Amino acid sequence: MTQERASEEKPYRRLETQALLQQIAFRHGLEAMEASENGSLAWVTSGFPVEIPIAMNLGVVYPEQAGAIIGAQKIGPAVSGYAEDLGYSQELCSYARVSIGSTEKPDEVPMGSLPTPQILLAGNNICGTVLKWYDAISEMTGAPVFLLDTPPIEKQQLPHNQEYVRHGVERLIEFIGSNFNRTLEEDRLREVAELSSRATKLWIRALEACKNKPSPLNCADRFLTMAPVVSSRGTEHCVEFYESLVAEVEERAKQGIGAIRDEKIRLLWDNIPPWHTLRFFNILASRGVVFPADTYTHAWTGNMVGTDTPSIIDEVVETYSKVYLNMGLDAKVDKMCQLIDDYDLDGFVMFSVRSCKRYSLGQLVSKEIVTERTGVPGVIIEGDMVDSRVYNAAQIETRVDALLEMLM
Amino acid sequence: MDMGVGIDVGSTTTKGVLLDSSGNILARSLMTTGASAIQAVEKTLRNISSSSNIDLNDIPVISTGYGRARVELAEKSMTEITCHSVGVHHINPDIRLLIDVGGQDAKAIRIGPSGRPEDFELNDKCSAGTGRFLEVMARVLEVSLDDLGPLALQSKTPSSISSTCTVFAESEVIGHIGAGESAADIAAGVHVSMVSKISALSKRVGVQEPVCATGGVALNPAFRHHLSNQLGVELWIPEDPQLTGALGAAVIALEKKGKKN
Ligand code: SF4
Repeated sequence: MTQERASEEKPYRRLETQALLQQIAFRHGLEAMEASENGSLAWVTSGFPVEIPIAMNLGVVYPEQAGAIIGAQKIGPAVSGYAEDLGYSQELCSYARVSIGSTEKPDEVPMGSLPTPQILLAGNNICGTVLKWYDAISEMTGAPVFLLDTPPIEKQQLPHNQEYVRHGVERLIEFIGSNFNRTLEEDRLREVAELSSRATKLWIRALEACKNKPSPLNCADRFLTMAPVVSSRGTEHCVEFYESLVAEVEERAKQGIGAIRDEKIRLLWDNIPPWHTLRFFNILASRGVVFPADTYTHAWTGNMVGTDTPSIIDEVVETYSKVYLNMGLDAKVDKMCQLIDDYDLDGFVMFSVRSCKRYSLGQLVSKEIVTERTGVPGVIIEGDMVDSRVYNAAQIETRVDALLEMLM
Repeated sequence: MDMGVGIDVGSTTTKGVLLDSSGNILARSLMTTGASAIQAVEKTLRNISSSSNIDLNDIPVISTGYGRARVELAEKSMTEITCHSVGVHHINPDIRLLIDVGGQDAKAIRIGPSGRPEDFELNDKCSAGTGRFLEVMARVLEVSLDDLGPLALQSKTPSSISSTCTVFAESEVIGHIGAGESAADIAAGVHVSMVSKISALSKRVGVQEPVCATGGVALNPAFRHHLSNQLGVELWIPEDPQLTGALGAAVIALEKKGKKN
């Protein structure tokens, strides 16, 4: 696992659609800057019903995505350091740390500090950390915070919780309305939701193409191409991006072209990736290991894809209450087992992310249950998505190698 | 006769084994790894060659352990998890749970009927539950590491040490010394605490008998006593508990040679 081949004969194939990503990211960045200058930029958490601020003509950006970019640039430890200097603990989510750090010293973080927000929209359907994090950003920037509180779901959402979240969504519309002096047009919301749903359905198609052998996409491909469905869903150009991704992926599948050249072992990935070391997947690719599925990018398949609820607001309530991280441990285990079966996987790697307690809690138990139910072995490796200081490559290598030795 | 060499470059010691195809160990070597893994490997190979009087050229080598990538002439490197399983299986094919505790890490490995690992857990992020924990406590108690186990066995009432963390446990030990508790009781408490970490690790992969303990720490009688107590099982200890990783690597080297012929 130690060496990556340098020649043009790379063990993995680059997606052509990846070139479009840069354009989308560039465009998204410009739009955000413009929105901030016009006084209408929202920072939103990843599980937030973004269709509403978009339909109310706010620009949106995702600090978690900015965190991933900071991680990928390998400046995570330095930027977290700016937050740690302010007194924030190293135990705090590293997305939060680099967000606070880059807000404190934006000039030090040219790629990854976000334009100034005018409103902060947090949903605790992913975790409770986001509220304190957005409170801190609010103190630093003066932007007001709105919290959409979504009680966690164990099996079914209770009717009074549904009512409660519905009330929250109505308050959100009022909050944006009174802060920016505008109203929500139901037609516009329908249009945005429709675009969002089209992008999500295409994304699901791209993911499902990975059931093919060889798999047309590897983990790192999906981590990169998920960006638009996170940050730009509800827009035309996002739909266009996924149309071209699906075309390329389905063509690969039709022709039997894999994401890696010599697929031997198919594994499941659980959790956020180590953005600073995406190379991990390429090194394994050179040994014939591909990851046709992961719980992280599949978490984005639950967006607005149309439910049988009577109104669009009800659909928002249902969709955003049921995000992956807002469900109990059973739902996570079910999802892992289902992916292992559907994608015909030989084993699984669980990344225990030091920062993200919400995603990582319960992995030890889940690992046992998943192996019991599916009969395939798994391994837990430890590290962090952004803070490379707690990522020990040698120890990770031993664990993953031992798993591969069990399979080969 | 075909032969195979296994080299296990651990964080504390480097081990080597030369094995023939009838399963006889023709030579063995054990030395501290020191600052240079490369030098330790060279010296190990020289030791094996001179004590067996056999030229190692053309004999396949498999390396394992944290320094496994440093063994240049190895055909292949394998993880210590696989090698320990194969090594223990070679000596005692009945073993189903292997607990290996070395200087800097601890592993619990469930061994399948074929001798390959089926599941494993490692503790390698911190020194709790490893040989290092015992080393630190021996220093605080001013006894040698070799004497720590026998001293602990003299105790009837082990001191209570609630922390498995090396740093916190060290201050607890200092507290007990200050309170006038006997060195034997404190030493016993140290083992109980350290073993609780290992038994938790073992339970995660499932305690299926017979159980074997290997690694340098398996030489410590108090460790064996308390581990056996906490797991409620008899432990089987191979004659040379530090060599099983290198032995497994040598077995794999021979298998590879067999396949080629
Ligand atoms: S703690 Fe986890 S879920 Fe919450 S913001 Fe951080 S990474 Fe996301």
